[in-house]
Amino acid sequence: MNDEIILQHGLTLEEFKVIKDYLKRDLTIEELGIFSAMWNEHCCYKTSKKWLKKLPTNNEIVIQGPGENAGIIDVKDNDGIAFKIESHNHPSYIEPFNGSATGVGGILRDIFTMGARPIATLDSIRFGNISSDKTKYLLNGVVHGIGHYGNCIGIPNIGGECEFDKSYDYNNLVNAMAIGHVKNDSIFYSKPKTIGGLIVYIGSKTGKDGIHGASMASDVFSEDDEDEKRPSVQVGDPFMEKLLMEGCLELMSSGLIESMQDMGAAGITSSSVEMASKGNVGVHINLDKVPLRQPLTPYEILLSESQERMLAVIEKDNNEKIKEILKKWQIDYEVIGEITNTKRVVFSSNEKIVVDLPVDIIVDDAPEYDREFSLPKKRKYRNFDISNLSIEKTVSNYMNNLNYLDKSWIYNQYDSTVMGDTIKEPGQSSGVVKIHNTDKAIGATTDCNPLYIRINPEKGMIHTVLEAYRNLVASNIKPMAITNNLNFASPLDPNIMGEIVLSITGLSNIAKKLDTPIVSGNVSLYNQTNDRPINPTPVIGMVGCNSNWKKILQNKFINEDDELILLGNSLGIDFSPYYLQDQKIVSSISEYNELSMPDIDLEIKTAKLIQEAADKNLIQSCNDISRGGVFMSLMKMTQKKLGFSIMLDDDKDVFCEYSAGYILTIDPKNKDRIVSMFKKERINFLSIGQVKLDSFEINSKKFNYSDMIEKYYKNFAKIIN
Amino acid sequence: MNFKSAVITFPGSNCDRDALTYLKDLTQGEVLNIWHEESSLPNVDLVILPGGFSFGDYLRSGAMASKSKIIKDVISHANDGRYLLGICNGFQILTEIGLLKGALIQNKSIKFLGKDCYIKKKFNNKFNCNIQNNEVLQIPVAHNEGNFYCDQETLNYLHDEELIAFEYCSSEYSLDDANINGSLDNIAGITNKNKNVLGMMPHPERAYQDFHLSNHGKKIIESILS
Repeated sequence: MNDEIILQHGLTLEEFKVIKDYLKRDLTIEELGIFSAMWNEHCCYKTSKKWLKKLPTNNEIVIQGPGENAGIIDVKDNDGIAFKIESHNHPSYIEPFNGSATGVGGILRDIFTMGARPIATLDSIRFGNISSDKTKYLLNGVVHGIGHYGNCIGIPNIGGECEFDKSYDYNNLVNAMAIGHVKNDSIFYSKPKTIGGLIVYIGSKTGKDGIHGASMASDVFSEDDEDEKRPSVQVGDPFMEKLLMEGCLELMSSGLIESMQDMGAAGITSSSVEMASKGNVGVHINLDKVPLRQPLTPYEILLSESQERMLAVIEKDNNEKIKEILKKWQIDYEVIGEITNTKRVVFSSNEKIVVDLPVDIIVDDAPEYDREFSLPKKRKYRNFDISNLSIEKTVSNYMNNLNYLDKSWIYNQYDSTVMGDTIKEPGQSSGVVKIHNTDKAIGATTDCNPLYIRINPEKGMIHTVLEAYRNLVASNIKPMAITNNLNFASPLDPNIMGEIVLSITGLSNIAKKLDTPIVSGNVSLYNQTNDRPINPTPVIGMVGCNSNWKKILQNKFINEDDELILLGNSLGIDFSPYYLQDQKIVSSISEYNELSMPDIDLEIKTAKLIQEAADKNLIQSCNDISRGGVFMSLMKMTQKKLGFSIMLDDDKDVFCEYSAGYILTIDPKNKDRIVSMFKKERINFLSIGQVKLDSFEINSKKFNYSDMIEKYYKNFAKIIN
Repeated sequence: MNFKSAVITFPGSNCDRDALTYLKDLTQGEVLNIWHEESSLPNVDLVILPGGFSFGDYLRSGAMASKSKIIKDVISHANDGRYLLGICNGFQILTEIGLLKGALIQNKSIKFLGKDCYIKKKFNNKFNCNIQNNEVLQIPVAHNEGNFYCDQETLNYLHDEELIAFEYCSSEYSLDDANINGSLDNIAGITNKNKNVLGMMPHPERAYQDFHLSNHGKKIIESILS
C-alpha cells in the first residue's frame, strides 16, 4: 500500500505502521477504509479523549452517561430523558440544506435508537458576517434544512441560538440537539446479547452519498474545495426517517429485538464495530445482502453514510414477526450477518473475505494524542472610555446588530407546537415541553459565549454554563445535566489546543459545582479554513425538569404596574466583553481585560431562591440577563403593549453584563414577602421600576414603544434580506 | 350522548396523536385510530384527517394520501352527512380528494410558517356555531403549503354559498395585513356545500389545553357537540 493512499485516508504514516505491525500483514483497501473512518477525530476523539476523561459524567440521576448513542437522566416515576447534541458543521458549509437537515436526522436517530421517542429539538447555529451573499445563502439553506427535516418528521423545535461573527465566515457551525422520553425499564442499548444472533439491516437503501463524510469532518478546509467535497454530503429523507422511527419504536416495544445501533458517521462500519466492541463479541456481515440503491463496491458500502438506516440484533426465531411489522411501515429489512464469538470484525462479499480485523485494534488501540498546548497570556488592566456613547446611541447599536434582534425569522420556519405538548416556544429563555400524559415539564437551552472563551477559555466556559443554567432557572426549571458540542479550530495549533484543554477544564469544574453531569457530547475540530480559525465554540445543551408544569415561569411581562426587581452583580463596563465589542470600543482580542470570575455560590443561591419564590407563586415572570445586559433582558420581556420604566443609578449598569443576573416581575402585593426572602438569604436586589403600558423608559430617557418593538421584531428580516 | 370519532393515520402523518388526544379530552366518547390501509371505516360521528406530511408530501401535498384504501369509506362517511374535519395536511388531502374546492399552494413567502395566528368566523356552520361573530381565535399554524387558491368562479361560489368558515385576521379582528400565507380573501378554512366537511390550515388541536397559548381550539369540538 503506497503512502499517498494512506495519507488520502487521513491516517498518518505512523498510525499506519502501528496497524501493520499489529496485523503483521498488509491491509486490504476495505480495511484501510475502516481505519480511516474509525481513527479520525469524529469517531475516536484522538485529540480530546485525554481531557474529556476529566469531565464529571455521573451522579444519582444519570442512567446513561457518554458512550452510548445518547445520555439518559432519571426524572422519576420510571420516566427518563435521553438527549444529545451533535454537529454537522462541515457538511452544512458545503451544502447547507442537506448538511443541516441530515444533522437533525442523525441526532433524532441517536435518540430513538435508545428506545426514546423524540419530544423536542434545539439548534445552535453560527454564521459569518451577514454583509456577504455567501452568509445569506448559508443562513437560508441551514434554517430551511433544519426546519424541513424537523417539521416533516413532526418533532417540535423549542429553542436555540444563532450568532453572527466574522470568525465563522468560512466555517459556519450547525449543532443540532434532540431530547427524547423513554420509560426507564425499556431503554435499548447497542450491546448485543446472543452469540448467533442475527444482525439485521433496517431502513433506507445504501447509496454513494456521504462516503468519507466522517473523515471530511476531521479535516481542515482549503478555500474552493467545497465543490469537490459536495458529493460527500449526505442527503436526507425525513419521510423515511418518520417511518423508520415509528417502525423501530414499534419493534422495540414488541420485545422482538435485543439491541440497536444507528448507522451514523462512517455508516455500517462504525455501527458494526461499535456493536462488537460493546458486546465484546465478533460480527460477520455479508455485504452482498445490504440493500443497495445502485451497484456499489464493498469499499463504498462500508463507508457510505446514506441516511435513515439502522442495525439491530435479533434472535433467529423473531425474524418473520419483525418482517411483518416493518412491512406495514414499508421499510427495507434484511438479515445481513450474525454475532460471532471471535471478537473479530469480518465483512465478506462475493464469497471472499474483504475485511478481517480484531475489534481490539480498531477500538482500543485507536490513537490517543497528548498534543502540545499553550496557556493564554496575562492581560493588563485597561480602563475604557465610553463617554461618547449615549443611551440612545447604545440602544441604536443594539437594534442594528443581528445578535441582539428577535430571531423569529428563523424560528417561524420551525414547527414548535407539533405534538401538542409545547409549553414555551422559541424566543424565550428556554424551551419547555411537557412529557405527554404527565405533569412534568422538561426545559432545555443551548448556549455558548465564544468571545468570553476566546479571552479566557476556562472562565469563559464557566460563564457559558452559568448562562445556560440561568436560562433554565428563569423558567423555574431545575438544571440537571449537560450535553456538549466542542467546536474548535485545528488542535495542531498549540493555542487552539490550549482553548480545548482549558475550556474542558472549566466545564468540568462548573459541572461539578452545579452537580450537572455531562451525559453526552460531540467534538468537532478543524473548523478552520487555511489560517482562519473559528472562535472557540464549545456549545452547551442543558436540560432540566420541573415536576409540575403549572409552576413554569413566563419570561414576558404579565400585568401593568408589576414591580421590576433586578438581581445579580454588574460585571462593570470594563469587564463586559460583548458590550465592548458590540459598541465598537474594542476591536482586537488582545485589548480586553482579564475575564472576571463569576460568583458561583451566588448563582446557586439565587437560583434556589427563585425556585422557592416561584413555587409559592410569588413571581409573575422572570428573565435572565446575558448579552446586552438589563436593557436586552427587558426588551425580550415586552409583550402585548406592556413595556417598562426603570431607573438605575448608573447608565452603564443598564447595558453591561451580569453575574447571577435576573429580572423578576412581581405583583406589588407580594413585594414584602419576596423582600424578606432576599434579606434572609442575604441576596442583594434592586427595585428598578415598573411594568408600564406603552412605555419604554430608561433613566428618564423615553423611547417610542411601538418604534422599539418594530425594530426589535422586524430588523432581523430587514438586515438579512 | 355517545359521541364516536376517528382519526386516520397515513404514513407521514405527524399530528395523529395530537388529534386523538384532542378528541379524547374534549368529546369524552370513544375515539378510534384507523390505519390508512384498513379496508373499512366503522360508523362514527366525526372523522379527522390529521396534519403531517402524508407520504412525504411527495408529488403534491395530500395527493398520494387521497388515493389510500380508506378514502373510499371516508367519502361515503361524508356523503352520509356525517362530520369530516381535515386539519392542515388533512385539508390538503380533502382538496385532493375533491370533497373541498380549491387547492393549497406554497406560502407566498416561499417559507414554512410556524407561529400563532388569528382567525375569525366568516359564515356560520356546524363546526363554528359556538363562536361569536366578533370573536378572534388565536390558533397556531404550521405549514409550507397553506396558501388557498381557486379560480374566480369557485371563489364566487364559496362566497355565494357561504362556504368560507374561517379567515385570517389580526388580533384586533381586522383583515388588513393579516394574510399570513397569501390565501385568496384571507381564507383559512372552507366547507363543502352541505357544510359537514371542513378543511382548515390552523391547528385547533394545539390550542385547547391549559398550557397552550390559547384554548380557542376547543370551540370547534364544542360547536360540533352542541
